Amino acid sequence: MKHALILALCLFILAGCGKSVTELDPATDPAEDADFSSADYFRITDTMKNSLEANGFFDRYRAEHAGEKPVILLVKSLMNKTDEHIDTRLILEKIRTAMIKEGLADFVDDQAFDIALDQLNMQATDLYDNMKAAKIGRFVGAKYVLRGSISNLRKVDGRETRNYMNVTLDIFEVETLLIKWTDEVDIKRASKKGLFR
Amino acid sequence: MIAALLLIAAGCATYTSKMQESRDSFFGGRYDDALSGLDELIGEAKGNDRFLYRLERGRINLASGRYDSAIVDLQAAEERFADIEGTISIPEMISSTLLHPGKGEYQPENHEKILISNYLLLAYWMQGDREGAFVERNRIVRKLGMYVNGLSEEDRDELDIPFARYLAALLYEAQGMEDDARIEYGRVEELRPGAAPPAVLPRVTEMVVFVDLGRGPVKVSREIRGYFQREGGLLQGVFLLPDLKAPLVFNMGTGHGFSPDRLGVLFTFAFPQLVRQERFIRSCRIVVDGVEAGEAVLLDDLGRTTDTAFRKKLPLVLAKSAIRAYLKTLAQTKLKDKAGGAVDVLGKLFSAADRADTRSWQTLPAEVHLFRMETMPGGHEVYVNYYDEHDSYIGSSESVGTVLIDEGGKGIAYFPHGVMIRRSSD
Repeated sequence: MKHALILALCLFILAGCGKSVTELDPATDPAEDADFSSADYFRITDTMKNSLEANGFFDRYRAEHAGEKPVILLVKSLMNKTDEHIDTRLILEKIRTAMIKEGLADFVDDQAFDIALDQLNMQATDLYDNMKAAKIGRFVGAKYVLRGSISNLRKVDGRETRNYMNVTLDIFEVETLLIKWTDEVDIKRASKKGLFR
Repeated sequence: MIAALLLIAAGCATYTSKMQESRDSFFGGRYDDALSGLDELIGEAKGNDRFLYRLERGRINLASGRYDSAIVDLQAAEERFADIEGTISIPEMISSTLLHPGKGEYQPENHEKILISNYLLLAYWMQGDREGAFVERNRIVRKLGMYVNGLSEEDRDELDIPFARYLAALLYEAQGMEDDARIEYGRVEELRPGAAPPAVLPRVTEMVVFVDLGRGPVKVSREIRGYFQREGGLLQGVFLLPDLKAPLVFNMGTGHGFSPDRLGVLFTFAFPQLVRQERFIRSCRIVVDGVEAGEAVLLDDLGRTTDTAFRKKLPLVLAKSAIRAYLKTLAQTKLKDKAGGAVDVLGKLFSAADRADTRSWQTLPAEVHLFRMETMPGGHEVYVNYYDEHDSYIGSSESVGTVLIDEGGKGIAYFPHGVMIRRSSD
């Protein structure tokens, strides 16, 4: 009995010394504090994608353009008006990924321009088989631009922090500057630190 | 035994003494030496000082143009300080009250918390990450709201950071947010008349140069040490006072001298003193594209801000020192009689080793000066000429900054302390 107890105690101590790794779901993992969290990326992406679908923007475009999908360009990043360093480009890219997966729109890759230009220039030389080389003059211009901003209002009172965040996105038509769709997501979160550390 | 304990006391280094080499190297422009010293200190540091050392290293990395490393260090420190703000650690409270005030984790002064964002802003801007700099601008404004705006009018004037407000205003202006810029420039003008521009002109091509002058003040430990013996109605002892070279001997009663058979009581009252650092440079002029363009005006007297923050906390610090001294004396007198000789020895040991907490951000400058001029878009070579109190030329900054400014944009150059050379053309 005594030996069993000692063994159990040793195992208990050993269990506490081991390194543990837990796989978390980034879409549902709760925020640890009042700051922007991984789940917020998913929440914003889902809300915006659903809003775009409900708005009927894609259906209207297809109906007016013989079933063609609209060509959209992402701005470099959302305007970050918060006091946090957030990868705002990720929000736009997640929306783009979702829309491409569902076949709702085509996107111009704004970040591939220089690479594509280098390739076209190189392939135009005699180093390449000209019959099979990529043709110049076939870039597709975007008809719409997806852009937006993210803002926050943070209040810190002692150990309590309240953070209100707002993400607003819109799609405007390049030819007319008319805003074809816009929506926003509000997130308000409070966190309180323990008195003792 | 008493001699041995005093030897122990002599061996206990304070934060200021540990930082001295790196601090001297930094202010002398020997950044690599300063960094290797700091790397060593960080490697040896316990949890209570580690993030303060990282703050120091962040400043040195910024000065030496290692912006990525500066951002990593300053952000790590900022995050930790935010985590512990307003929280209490019972073991730290006990150990800092009983043993040494530096046992608790370092919690920065409010002006230091604001300045972390200032230097992060500069690091992001210099690195070319405007978005990152705008985020830091937002953090500066939030911190000013938290730590300064709520103070009484008198305290606000003494503890406000015009350097932070100016940077915030400048970045609002660069982003075309004129109203916000006007608010912050307005406050700069109240605090430092003549430093803010007369108008907010977001579309005018301008260069703004910030120059650090002088070393910020540092805290040193001062101790009143005493040793006394009581025998019957007789109390005799000796005191060593900070500015008195000769010991103060007292004898109350008809004493026969110290008895070697009695251990007596070792008494220490340690308190910090803020010491302004000597400086030779009084003013500076900015040279743009080979022409001395004008004198940089005083924007922020950070030494004064540090001094005010120190004075405001001093009564509490002295009260804690008094409690510490009392407890250690108690261990050698009343508690010794009840708990035995071990308590007596511990009381003497901790009394001998007692030092004030001298921690503060020690790579901060004494003053920040500012120069602003309208210029042409493109690249401009900038350096600084330094002058003494008689307005005699001392030397110039060895580093020559190249500021690239877009049409209608704002260019920023920042000159921390660096190597000074004499330029023959001056």
